[in-house]
This record gives sequence, C-alpha cells and structure tokens, in this order.
Amino acid sequence: MIFEFSLRRALSIAKKEKFHILRDPFTLTMATILPVLLVLIFGLAIEFNVKDIGLTVHDSDRTFSSRKLVEVFSSSQYFKINQNQSSTENAIKNLDSDRSKAILIIEPQFEHSLLSDGTAKVQFFLDGADNSTAGVILGYLGGIQQAATLKLTGQEGQPFLQLKTRYLFNPELSSPWFVVPGLAVVVIAILSILLTALTVAREWENGSMELLLSTPVQPLEIIIGKLIPYTIIGLAAVLLVVIVAIFGFGIPFAGNFFLFGLGSFIFLIACLAQGMLISVLIRTQQLSMQVAMITGLLPSLLLSGFIFPLESMPTVFQNFTSILPSKWFMIISRGIFLKGADLIDLKIPFVGLFVLSSILIVTATKKFKKDLEP
Amino acid sequence: MNRSTFATVIGFLKKEFSQVLRDSRMRIILLVLPVLQMAVFGLAISTEVKNIKLGTIYNPNDTILRRIEERSFSSKWFIPAIGRGTSNDANADPLEQIRSGRADVVLISPPGGLTKDIERGERNVQLLIDASNVIRAQSIERYMQSIINEVLRDEFQLTVTSPVIFDVRILYNPSLESAIFMVPGTLAMILCIVTILLTSMSIAREKEMGTFEMIISAPVKTWEVLLGKTIPFIIIGMINAASIFMFAILVFKVPMKGFYWHLAIATFSFIVTTVSIGTLISTFAKNQQQAMMGGFIFLLLSNLLAGIMFPIDNMPVFMKVAAYMNPMTYFVRLVRNIMLKGGSPELIWSYIGILVLMAVLTAIVSYKRFHHTLD
Repeated sequence: MIFEFSLRRALSIAKKEKFHILRDPFTLTMATILPVLLVLIFGLAIEFNVKDIGLTVHDSDRTFSSRKLVEVFSSSQYFKINQNQSSTENAIKNLDSDRSKAILIIEPQFEHSLLSDGTAKVQFFLDGADNSTAGVILGYLGGIQQAATLKLTGQEGQPFLQLKTRYLFNPELSSPWFVVPGLAVVVIAILSILLTALTVAREWENGSMELLLSTPVQPLEIIIGKLIPYTIIGLAAVLLVVIVAIFGFGIPFAGNFFLFGLGSFIFLIACLAQGMLISVLIRTQQLSMQVAMITGLLPSLLLSGFIFPLESMPTVFQNFTSILPSKWFMIISRGIFLKGADLIDLKIPFVGLFVLSSILIVTATKKFKKDLEP
Repeated sequence: MNRSTFATVIGFLKKEFSQVLRDSRMRIILLVLPVLQMAVFGLAISTEVKNIKLGTIYNPNDTILRRIEERSFSSKWFIPAIGRGTSNDANADPLEQIRSGRADVVLISPPGGLTKDIERGERNVQLLIDASNVIRAQSIERYMQSIINEVLRDEFQLTVTSPVIFDVRILYNPSLESAIFMVPGTLAMILCIVTILLTSMSIAREKEMGTFEMIISAPVKTWEVLLGKTIPFIIIGMINAASIFMFAILVFKVPMKGFYWHLAIATFSFIVTTVSIGTLISTFAKNQQQAMMGGFIFLLLSNLLAGIMFPIDNMPVFMKVAAYMNPMTYFVRLVRNIMLKGGSPELIWSYIGILVLMAVLTAIVSYKRFHHTLD
C-alpha cells in the first residue's frame, strides 16, 4: 500500500543495497568509469566524413583529359586509387572481393567526345552492399564534378543558383559533436538497465528473498530503496560524461545544466525501473540478463535515433519507438547540449519520459507485490 | 575418444540443454525472439533521410520560391515545418523555428524576392540547417540543391553544363535497400548476444551456486567440462543463424548469390569464436553479475567497431587495430560478400582463417585459465 510507505524502511533497503554494491568493486567501477571510457573512445573513433575510399580505375582512353579526370579523384582526399585495371572485368573483380568500394571506367572515346561535344560520359560503379558508405560516396560526386569542370575547362563549375548554407549548432559538421551526446544516452541506458536487471533475481536465486519477505517492508519501499543507490551511481556517471564532452571534446553546452540534470534523473529512473521490472518478472539471472540485453542494447543502439533516423521509419515503428526511454532522452540530450533548448521546446519528450518511468515503477511495484503475497 | 569420455560429454550436454531450455520463456527468448528482432530491425531501419521539416520564409508573390517549396513537398524528402508562421510568413524567426525543433531547415528568400533577384542576375538564396545531426544536415543540403536545380531548369530552361557526366550504377543492392544492408549486421549482433552471454553466465552460475566444486571433485577432465558447457550454445547459435538466414532470404528477399555451405562454415567459425570468448569471460567472473558486465563490454565494443554503423576506414590507428581484432568485423563482411556478391574465394578463406585462428587462440587461453581454476 502506498499509504504505508515509510522512507525510513526504504532507506534501510537502500543501505543494504549499497553494501552489496560496495562489496563488488568491479561492478561499481564499470558503472562509473565505463560510460566515460566508451564516450571517450568512440567520440574519437567515429567520423562520418569518409576518406581514402578505395577506387579502382580502368582508363582505356589514356589521354591527357582522362588522366586529368583521374587526378581530380586522387587529389580530392576522398579517394585512394588502388589499381589501374586492364579491363572492366578485372575492375569488377576488385569490387567483388571488397578490395575497392567504387570503380571509375573511362571509355576510349572520352577525350574525343569531350572536345567535339563539350561533354563526355564516364561510368561510375558503386558497391551497394555497404549502404552507408555508398550514400557518402554519392554525396561526394557533386563536388568531384565541380572540381572536374574546373580542371578540364578552367571554368568554375558552379550550379546556376548558389545556396548560402549556414549550419546551425554545429557549424563545422563535427562528428563528435553529433555522436557524443547521443552515445552518452545509449551507454547510460544499457548500463542502468543491466545494473538493476539482476538485483531481484539474485535475491531469489540466493534465497535471501525469503528473509526480506519475513520483514514488514513494503514492495514500493523495496523498489524505491533499491533504486536510490543506483540512481546516485548513474547521476555520477552522467556528470562524468558531461565533463568529458565539454572538456575533452570541446562540445559547447548550450542549454541549462539543471534541466539536463532533471532529464537525466527521470531517464535514469526509467531505465533502472525497466531493469527492475525485468528482474521482478523473471527471477533467474541468466534469463533476466538475456531480456535486459535484448530490450536494452539493440533498441537503444538501433531504434533511438542515435544513428539511424527515426523520421525515415514507417509510421508504425515510429510510434513503437515511443515506448523506449532512450528515444525521448536522445531528443532531450541533443536538444539541450547543442541547441540550448528549454523546457517548453522539450515538453513532449519530458512528458514522454515521465510517463514511461511512472508506468515502469508502478508496474514493477505491482508485480512485486503480487509475488510477495501468493 | 573412448567410450566413457564420450558418455561424460553427452551427459554434460543433456544437463546443460535441459537447464537452458527447461524454462518455456527461455525457449521463446532463445529461439523465437531473434527472428522477431530481425524482422523489426529489417523493416524499421532505413539509412535514407526522409520527412525533413522544411520552413520557408518568402513573399507569397515570389513564384520561384513557391515552386521550390511545392516541389520540395512533392518529393518524398520534405514535409512542412510544424506550427503556424512557419511557412510563407516573412515575419517568422527562422532561428527560433530550428532551435525549438519545429523545423530542420529554413529556406529564406532574399529581401526583394528570389524571382526578382534571378531576373537581375543575382544567384543567392539562404539556407539555415539544423546541423546537430551531421548526417542529416549533409543530406538536406544535397536534396535542396538538386530540387532548386530542377525548378530552375524547368522555369528558365537553365542547365548547368558539366564536361563530365557520371553514369552511376550501384551494384549488388541497386536501390540501396536498407533491409539488405541491415541483415548481416543485426544477425551478427544477435548471435553475439545469445552465445557470449549464455556461455559466460552459465559457467559463472555454477561458481555462484557452488555447484562448481562438485564438478571439480568429479573425475572429469577439463576439456570434457568445457566441451559439455560450450557445445549446447554452439548448437543454439547455429539454430538461430539458420532461422534468421531463412527469414532474411524468404521474407526480406535478401539475395543469396553464394553457396550455402560457405555461409554455414563462416557462421560456424564465428559462433565458435564467440562461444570461446564467452568462456574466457567466465574464467574472469566471480558471479553472474560480473559475467554479464564483461559480456556487455565486449558486446558494445564489438557492435560499434564492426563497421556496421561507422566506417572502419576513418578510425584512428588504435581503433582500427581494435576493429580488426573484432571477430564481428570479419563475420559481417563474410555474410555480405557471400550473400550479395556470391563470395570471392580469396576473401572467404582468408577471413574464415582469421576467425578460426581467433577461436583457437581464445579456446587455448580459456582452457588454460579454466584448468588452473579447476586444480
């Protein structure tokens, strides 16, 4: 019963859980240091502007102009010419065996048609097996075409209407600025689900649950008590991640620290409660952990908008992602970090997160209560 | 193998299988859920950027800008920005629209209107893009430029002449279908989760429950224990892989150009590697919680460093080294190469060789460490 809730009893559960955490320094270290390490490593490693793309060239024209065109590719930094193949078939073999990502084929009459018609076609084959790189290469071709115009005709190959583009919030299109606030969400989500996913199951497996049952402690008190220490650990991890983001990567923190703290707090509660619910429902550690990984790791990585855009999903799946706390916190984190969004801009994600965490806590408590009174 | 050791291993297998599959929920999670996940990720995830919220600030009489706006919305890329005063309103604040998330991009007319400007020979139009998502920002600019070029070509018969025209052909996945791209990646992730975690936790469980002492005091050899503990998870992994491949080929129509037996050998060597890694993790872990943490670290690192979400080629050297020590990197490339390209023998056998080498090395180290614990 919620009326019988006693903070004193909840705190003593928290105290007990704290001892459990302290006895296992490995887990404690993981929970605080790991997010920072991961954000640091991947913030440095992830770069979306692909360079040195393997390009196989088959130039059967072998003229001044065709060599100039190849030069445009090699001097662009985007491409690395790995071989000049003797035939189209050999060039395709390079694509088949993953030795290069693209092929440039220049036909024998290239220079001739360039001089007579003012324009000539060249073939460009692209490896579509790797979607993301293929998309990036397609994006580079426009710039290559402009550079080729300049090189071959001496004229600026500008489109008729020039776009004056201003990139807001990330003027240099820096990958870490984009990745770090998102990665922080993913790492913290999975870690907190995992931290609590085993807590109740462990008590059942070790038999200490029977002991707990014989005390007058209430389900909500147990749930809250168990959540308190992990929330503190989680908040510490969030703080460390923010420090690394600001001082390590020079990401401007445009928004309000307090609002970000509030968002992190509700988000942590949601994830910890999700883990707790799994633990209450399942009771064995091995199974709990499988469920935690399946509902925590892959959805947070793939369905939260971290890399793959939610806006491009079919509507059914877009709606489905709303039950993932990481989707909402992803919007909050990127919004506050880079855009300086305020509570009014973020009302929908905040409400979403709040509703989710309440549902998760209530369900965990109810389920737990049912288990206690057979 | 003599009769008694054979019987010992079989006995272990039976025990382990019944322990894992006794629980009906576990059966569902291990055998049905992987296929379901594959379905969700294959259907949901798209690498294409769509539904970009476009705000336009211009005078209603500006026909060219109106055409550009209309054409943007009729393409599948753009949708109108949310809320009032976002489109066709000269007083709207573009920065505010973007900051609040009502618009991803705002196209702003020059003060006198774009139509007039073009007649006068001026050729500039301002575009504000929310670049908090780098990938999206780059696509937005590219789409906008191509729409504007189209409109100008139709309105003024203006074409940009370039001396070189690229005739682009995309091989293996011509329409850049996302499901085809996602299948190998998610397959590897799912297999890793199932095998690494099950193996590491299963052994850690024995330690935690104290049943490990019983195994030690029984007259069994280390390798018998290890085989008995790992074969069930290899079998479960192979069943998962088979059902996911079947689903991918029959439902998602992922082409299967290569040989099935290549795919089977590649999958088998990958699963043996992950099961060995799971065993190695369990030799470090004192309880299931630690085994799970260890498994999680490995999973997250290998997922992010396998070239599925981020290209390996542009990573700094130390991360490249890590990426090439990651079995998932090779497995994902093997699956893509065999299924989509028909399999280049040179690539297949060298990558399978690397996976086998990894499996053998990890198995030797875990055997040594395991042996040490048993004594």
